[in-house]
Amino acid sequence: MNRIKALGVINAVLHLALSAASVFLASYVLREGPVSGFDFFYIDALSAFFILTISVVNFAAALYSIGYIAKDAESGTIKEKKARAYYGLFNLFAFTMYFVTVVNNLGMLWVAIEMTTLVSAFLVGFYNSKKSIEAAWKYIIICSVGITLALLGTILFYYTASRDGGVTSLNWTEMASVAGKLDPNVLKVAFLFILVGYGTKAGLAPMHTWLPDAHSQAPAPISALLSGVLLKTAIYAIIRFTSIINICIGTSYSDRLLVFFGLLSLGVSAAFVVVQKDIKRLFAYSSVEHIGVITFGLGMGGALGLFGALFHVFNHAVTKSLMFFSAGNAVKKYKTSDMNAMRGVVNAMPFTGVMLIIGAFALTGSPPFSVFFSELMILISGFGQGLYLQSALFLLFLAIIFGAVIYHISRVVFGKKPSDVAAEGEPLSGKIAFIFLLVFTCTLGFKLPALLSGLMTSAIGIIRGA
Amino acid sequence: MPINIFLFLILMMAFAMVAAKRLTALINGFRAQSFFLFLLMFVLAYRSGSTELYVVAALLFLIKVILIPRMLHRVVKRIKVGEDLGLSANPTVSIFAAIVLAYLAYAFTGMITGIPAFFVSISITLIGVFIMIFRMKALAQIVGLLVMENGMFLAAASVSGGMPFIVEIAIFFDVFLAVMILGIFVYKINSLFTHIDVDKLTELKG
Repeated sequence: MNRIKALGVINAVLHLALSAASVFLASYVLREGPVSGFDFFYIDALSAFFILTISVVNFAAALYSIGYIAKDAESGTIKEKKARAYYGLFNLFAFTMYFVTVVNNLGMLWVAIEMTTLVSAFLVGFYNSKKSIEAAWKYIIICSVGITLALLGTILFYYTASRDGGVTSLNWTEMASVAGKLDPNVLKVAFLFILVGYGTKAGLAPMHTWLPDAHSQAPAPISALLSGVLLKTAIYAIIRFTSIINICIGTSYSDRLLVFFGLLSLGVSAAFVVVQKDIKRLFAYSSVEHIGVITFGLGMGGALGLFGALFHVFNHAVTKSLMFFSAGNAVKKYKTSDMNAMRGVVNAMPFTGVMLIIGAFALTGSPPFSVFFSELMILISGFGQGLYLQSALFLLFLAIIFGAVIYHISRVVFGKKPSDVAAEGEPLSGKIAFIFLLVFTCTLGFKLPALLSGLMTSAIGIIRGA
Repeated sequence: MPINIFLFLILMMAFAMVAAKRLTALINGFRAQSFFLFLLMFVLAYRSGSTELYVVAALLFLIKVILIPRMLHRVVKRIKVGEDLGLSANPTVSIFAAIVLAYLAYAFTGMITGIPAFFVSISITLIGVFIMIFRMKALAQIVGLLVMENGMFLAAASVSGGMPFIVEIAIFFDVFLAVMILGIFVYKINSLFTHIDVDKLTELKG
């Protein structure tokens, strides 16, 4: 048993080191400009920003995994060998996500994103139950179909780049440099395939159907990774293609599509959040919502909207991870994820209960938490550009989701505790991951570190094709 | 002209797969389609004399004509499920639907480029999607995905003379890995549910 814990601690230290390295990398990129190597790797501010986000959530998930996996092994849910396999898969999954952000070649980007699906499918099906295998199957099939469409989009980008731009590689840097010469009609069709294809992986409605199943069946730390950063790697891919098409034909075409899919995702998730009974599915649909917010923000364009969208990428990553960790604790304790059976969490596990209710407010965009600020930026940008109807719908869906999430979670936290669930104290070691994430959620709205704001500001230039 | 003959045969194999009622017929259809795709690539390689295209054609033969069909046949044997494909649309309706899909592909590709290979590639991609949706066995979904993948391969070869070499290799590797992993999950589904009918995977809702 102690061996598993030791493995978990080593894993967490490794990911702490990776976080430190990514902070170093980010400040280097900000100071010296993009880093590239072997004509294969290319890291600019946009990549560095996503690397930083991934490393923060990975570290938190690694911390949380220590206790979570050890408990699973103690209770006999999984064997020791499987616990070791977990850490192997965890790191493979982390590696594939980093890989997405550092490759220059858009074909390799495609390969990397498919690899994230293949590796994480094993983590989704980790418990080998009927439900988790069903979820893993749907996940891998739906995302593979989606990503095949993204490949078609990539091929069409390459088609016009080689025919009209004379480029013979799929490198993003080269495609972007000839973007002005590309054929607008081919690009428009290609971008549609990219958006639907990678949008499937990002969890945009109506291609989101794999998402609630996969997020709810995976172990809680993996749910946090899936929701917090895996979806964002697909967003990253969409952004890379958006910047090429924006240079060529301006932003109005991509903006309209992004706003449409963003609002659709918000609407669909609002409907499902209201009627949800399962706590992990509730947060999964909330991920569809936040991906919608990010996409909407990207589509708003303008410096403020884009800044808000990127800021939201980070805020959602840390806040949603916090929620999946809390939900994971509660599900372990109550041995069900049905919210009707899960009552009085604050009595049974005071720390988790408090985190759940704070997190619910943070996640739904209440001040003073950071999600509020990024959503506000996007909203101001929307009204500022005169998109009143779209912005009003955006606000309406956010309000519905706010009400529904607070209603569900407050009943879970403050309801009457079932008598067969004993109250227990929680060890400090289990709380570190929560506090780490909570610090970001609480402070970023007031004091944005220069590194983060610098990265986002440079990234905006990249998205707008400057 | 052999190119156009191969293209025609590739498309016909897609129709044959849509009409198939049994798993083995479906897998053999895929193998035949991949074989014609290989012949097409071989002719392209011969014409251009490029070593890279020869390597791509050889890999195509190895992975899609030999390894993957063999593995799929083995899975069919091992899990002893019925051969029946679970058609939720009968062969006549399916063929009709496939013709409509091919026409849509024709109309769509005409907007971008008139290259016939591109038209065939989009047709079989759509037919692959059709197989995935209307055939209820998990294995049939894998074959549907592979047919889509063949379509993408043809698209890359037709509109841009093939993607850069390293990307082609990476995509091959990826497809192979995906099929392996899907095969593992078919075993898991079979052992947990004692069937591989995806329309009966309905534990997760809402």
